[in-house]
Amino acid sequence: MSDIIFKIDGREVAAQPGETILQAAARIGVEIPTLCYNQKISKTTSCFVCVVKDCKTGKFLPSCSACPAPGQEIDASSDEVKDMRRTALSLLVSEHTGDCEAPCTLACPAHATVEEYVRAGRNGDFRKALEIIKQRIPLPMSVGRVCPRFCERDCRRNIGGKPVSINDVKRLSADMYYDTYMEDLPALNGKRVAIVGAGPAGLSAAYYLRLQGVASFLFEQMPEAGGMLRYGIPEFRLPKDTLRKELAHFGKMGGIEIRTGQTMGKDFTIEQLEQDFDAVILAVGSWASSSMRIDGEEAAQKGIQWLGDIAGKNWKDCPNPGRTIVVGGGNTAIDCARTALRLGGDVTIVYRRTRNEMPAQAIEVDEAMEEGVKFEFLTAPAALTKNADGSLSLSCARMQLGEPDASGRRSPVLIPGSEFKLQADTVISAIGQRTVVPEGFAASKRGFEISADDFTCSGRKKVFAAGDCVSGPATVVEALAAGRKAALSVVDFLNGVPHKAPYEFNVSRGHWRSLAKEDLVYIRQVSDAERIQPEYIPLEERKTTFHELYPTFTPEQVSGEADRCIECSCTGKHDCLLKKHSTAYGVDPNAYKGAKPISAVDVRHKYIIHDKQKCIRCGTCVKVCSEVINKSLLGMMKRGFHTMVDTTFGQGLPDYCVDCGACVKECPTGALDWKKKE
Amino acid sequence: MNSAFSYLGEVEPDKGNLIKGLQLIQTREGYVSNDGILAAAEHFGIPAAEVEGVLTFYAQFKRTKPGKYKLSVCDGTACHIKGSTQIRAWVSAELGIGDGETTEDGLFSIETVACLGCCSLAPVLSINGRVYGKLDRKSLTKILNEYKAKG
Amino acid sequence: MADIKRIKVGTASCGLAAGAGAVLEAIRKQAGNIPVSETGCMGHCYAEPIVELELTDGSSIFYGRVKGTDEAAAAILAQSEEGRFVFPEKRSKLEKLLVTRLAGHINPVSLDEYKANGGFSALEKVLTMTPEQVVDAVKASGLRGRGGAGFPTGMKWSFLAAKKVPDKVQICNADEGDPGAFMDRSMMESVPYQVLEGMLIGAYATGATRLFIYCRAEYPLAIKHLTIAIEEMKKAGLNKLPNREAPLEITIKEGAGAFVCGEETAMIHSLEGKRGTPRFRPPFPTDSGWNTLPTAINNVETFANIPIIFQIGADAYAAIGTEKSKGTKIFALAGDVKTPGLVEVPMGITLGEIVYDIGGAEPGTVKAVQTGGPSGGCIPASEFGVKIDYDSLGKLGAIMGSGGLIVIGNNRCMVETARYFLNFTRRESCGKCTFCRVGTTRMYEALERITSGKGSMDDIAFLEDIAPKIKKGALCGLGQTAPNPALSTLRYFKNEYLAHVQDHVCEALACPALVDVAIDPAKCIKCKLCVKTCPVGAIDPANNFSVDNAKCTKCNSCIEVCPKKAVSRVRKQSANA
Repeated sequence: MSDIIFKIDGREVAAQPGETILQAAARIGVEIPTLCYNQKISKTTSCFVCVVKDCKTGKFLPSCSACPAPGQEIDASSDEVKDMRRTALSLLVSEHTGDCEAPCTLACPAHATVEEYVRAGRNGDFRKALEIIKQRIPLPMSVGRVCPRFCERDCRRNIGGKPVSINDVKRLSADMYYDTYMEDLPALNGKRVAIVGAGPAGLSAAYYLRLQGVASFLFEQMPEAGGMLRYGIPEFRLPKDTLRKELAHFGKMGGIEIRTGQTMGKDFTIEQLEQDFDAVILAVGSWASSSMRIDGEEAAQKGIQWLGDIAGKNWKDCPNPGRTIVVGGGNTAIDCARTALRLGGDVTIVYRRTRNEMPAQAIEVDEAMEEGVKFEFLTAPAALTKNADGSLSLSCARMQLGEPDASGRRSPVLIPGSEFKLQADTVISAIGQRTVVPEGFAASKRGFEISADDFTCSGRKKVFAAGDCVSGPATVVEALAAGRKAALSVVDFLNGVPHKAPYEFNVSRGHWRSLAKEDLVYIRQVSDAERIQPEYIPLEERKTTFHELYPTFTPEQVSGEADRCIECSCTGKHDCLLKKHSTAYGVDPNAYKGAKPISAVDVRHKYIIHDKQKCIRCGTCVKVCSEVINKSLLGMMKRGFHTMVDTTFGQGLPDYCVDCGACVKECPTGALDWKKKE
Repeated sequence: MNSAFSYLGEVEPDKGNLIKGLQLIQTREGYVSNDGILAAAEHFGIPAAEVEGVLTFYAQFKRTKPGKYKLSVCDGTACHIKGSTQIRAWVSAELGIGDGETTEDGLFSIETVACLGCCSLAPVLSINGRVYGKLDRKSLTKILNEYKAKG
Repeated sequence: MADIKRIKVGTASCGLAAGAGAVLEAIRKQAGNIPVSETGCMGHCYAEPIVELELTDGSSIFYGRVKGTDEAAAAILAQSEEGRFVFPEKRSKLEKLLVTRLAGHINPVSLDEYKANGGFSALEKVLTMTPEQVVDAVKASGLRGRGGAGFPTGMKWSFLAAKKVPDKVQICNADEGDPGAFMDRSMMESVPYQVLEGMLIGAYATGATRLFIYCRAEYPLAIKHLTIAIEEMKKAGLNKLPNREAPLEITIKEGAGAFVCGEETAMIHSLEGKRGTPRFRPPFPTDSGWNTLPTAINNVETFANIPIIFQIGADAYAAIGTEKSKGTKIFALAGDVKTPGLVEVPMGITLGEIVYDIGGAEPGTVKAVQTGGPSGGCIPASEFGVKIDYDSLGKLGAIMGSGGLIVIGNNRCMVETARYFLNFTRRESCGKCTFCRVGTTRMYEALERITSGKGSMDDIAFLEDIAPKIKKGALCGLGQTAPNPALSTLRYFKNEYLAHVQDHVCEALACPALVDVAIDPAKCIKCKLCVKTCPVGAIDPANNFSVDNAKCTKCNSCIEVCPKKAVSRVRKQSANA
């Protein structure tokens, strides 16, 4: 028989008799997505993600099953066709339940693949763990110590227990290999980027630029690099030596140059940088203290500057601040209080709301209390006066909580007649920071940050911005994420391609608070041990020195802790076609709402997990098992919305299953998969 | 083969007769049990998983042994308008079982059916083929109590 | 007064449901020597049970709504003037009884009676023609498939006839599944030989060697009559065709409760003993069907039309109807009409003539008709002037379908109607293709939200977006037509959707979540019947017969029991709360 001549997207194709449109398209390089097409078995014609349009009849055809007719004109790529495919995917997704990614990974602002590095840690391979971590977190020694642990907040071990101590995997991995680890680096490509500010955001940008072969030059106004890590976070949380070890790695990479003592506007200007470099990234942070707006404020120390001054010296040389009042409830306030305490001060924190509303991390508040920091909650400063003896008198008033404000926190309301005074030698104001917007740049609506759309500064084509100066004061890990995104944006700019933030499709079974213990799916025996607890240095040592609070856990301890990980992410996430095509077609996992068929997860087989909640009901496995393997251990059961693949009487794969894995191999999603992830 | 199903021999063991075979089992047993599926699988030479797949596709087949008294709640258009949803909820509340289930004592089973053809009496249900019409909660309770008393 | 020659009692399913069994028994007791015969259905279901007295002078007397009592039987035997049934004049004028001419008038299982009334004369004539001539005649008649899609029957036959293989299959689709449609059941129960004669003609014309009837298991009487008729035909040797060595076997296969098996590829799978899932076409069944043999599938009504074509001639047949739709169509008329039943009308009659003149509905009380069941659509009263044929109904967003025609009165909610049908299709979806399996459930859920007062404009936008995509994307006819009830009501009755969503009002007071029950104190006589009837104790006689609408389940018991019509549904008072 002769070939059938037809057209796909206007291109003439000769198909052999019996060949489908999908096969003919693939031959000429037109890629049509499909989930259920499989050459090994008879046609399933189920998913309909492969639809194409017959231009002459206007009909949509499943290209996996439709054979071309002579003279047919097939549209395989128009927006209308893509919309139909997106709709098919959205419908499939609306009945799909699972976790493409683990909740810890999603919670991490840098999207470090937490589950993967925890698994490496469990297996004792901390070098591999570090490699995974550094794909998203270029300062793991520091983050391993100071991170507020977003990942752990969303850990499913929180259900009826405590989360996996994830950050300690990071700390140990980084501590073990900081000196010997080196990335596979591409050669430098000649492009040069200037980065203003060598804090976490600037360093992160430099790191990911270097991974793309782009050299960078960091301009830092302080004597040492590190930004907030160096001058904001006190040494008992992050020893200077540790930070120096971590930063030394940047120098070893080659292509990252840090110039300290360089102040913008004095030692260089933006215009010069624009002229001398291919691009500029502003990462100047948020260093201006917010005002307490009370009379006599001048007499108070500004929290972040005060911490910076001490960090710039040897703590042993710093004077005792005496009776110290710290105003504020954030991490900076706690850091100020604990620093003052260690310098010999008698410290009280004054905060307008209660402990529950404190933005500071709970663990740090606990530690501060243990160390002897006192708290005056529901107390607001009203005025600061200097006493005759040079000491200070802070007029305060008691507050009560009123209605929630815009931030959702209940706002404090003054109790009339409750005024009183606190006496102090030192008053430190630590109620927040803001960005000093450099001249020539637009401020955001909030008035604090550099306005940056996709990290590109408005009005200046070559200038990008990242970190606290864009977002307002945030955490180190958020700054690292921003620095990486800015770097990727700059790389696209340097390559002359438009930058598009990558879309990654993800479905989630929900936050642990909405799940019960019975909802958890185990693919292996998980340790039921309690969460590991740090061994703090003696309290007296904590109160009187700046020694780090507790040592890094041992590899044995961390592996044991990592064994508590449930490994929530989908076993099939790396080869799931539903995820792949949904990502490519920008499918919103919540596009269509509605009930999901009730079905269960079967983990009875020794090696295979059958997660029916992820099944797209294409029946590929059923056909593979019957037509290829000749076993017929699976069947399509029921019909309609409740159609499902199951074993006979739901009894699970029987003993005479030969564990060949053909069903696993051909399953387009993670519905049938091996029970292991490596 | 399980001798309890030897009557399957009445049906030619041709694969095309699978549904007929299953219908025969249901006529004899009132439902198709796991053993019934295995017997059909053996008789017709079709894998059990496929037989179960065919069986569960068709609404006619019952997988659980129906009760001594089979309640069919009509959800035809007329009964639907007259509140068959409510009737079904009441029946479930009275007997403590859902659609397609049988009470533990094996006395009652419920199924929802498309139309009993008694639209003028809506809402209706039938018990072992006897139709009860114009139901309300009180008449329903009374009817069910009578059957319970009979045992 | 002429003597009674024979007594005929209509004992098709509709007659039996109305009590014809008892009538038959009562009459038999008193009939003495007068022969009593069972017949099928004449289509006047509202008047069942119907008894016909054949008189010796050749005339007949009909009785309608006959009671199964000895008194009633005696009165009939005495040819009483009372209770006589007169065929409505308007209806008789508009109907054209071709295919159903014998239905209800002859004993369905009597081969002799069928033959005496012209039965098998068509086959006799056909056997004098060549198979090609037969196919050409069917083509010339313009007959289109009566199952719903309207594919030209002669064309389908010519495809099968062209296959030069020894083994070919012909299937009669008797899996009538639309709720509210019972044309095929009635034909099989009332004139089984006519259907079988059509099949034999088809087999002769196409060369089919294996004949199946795929019938719903829910039609036991039809299966019984067909089984008897097949046996009788065999005995009479009618299944021996001159161009065949072996006599033809006609096998009845019972369905097992799956609407989708009306789709031809699904039906073939079911006949092969498999799950009734459709497959992509091509290959069409005439190329590869039952067990890969060339297969043609025609519907019961289509086969019942075939003998008529050869009785009256293809040209005469083609003279009936519209340009593209020839012959007559049988409709199952139901819903808010006075005289529901089966009607056979020429193509090209208007919807209004069926609804008002034949069905006896009062103009102004009807807002729409629903044709084609779950695959069809709702046509508003403003379009009732349209002449019915395959194409005109399609243009209105409905379909001819198999012939279900449900009249929707003003007191029905169109959103609820759409919800009801989507609930049907989502349950009957085979579950194979994504658009139908998930799409129909998502549509149903949106409709459910709207009728339960929880809908939003997003739900309406969703329905409008997804419905055409399911139509375009679904694998088979079930999915491709499933959105029609929602689409057509959105097209003609969007105001009702908006009222549910924006104002939380169900104008028809049909959606329980959007209505309250109220008692009008001016009409109430405080008889407490409602209080006694209420299953949940929602009416408080101590508190001025107020209704606790939070408790009330809107079961309507109180409304029905009230002797003064003081209880009624009203718009929900806390509508916007």
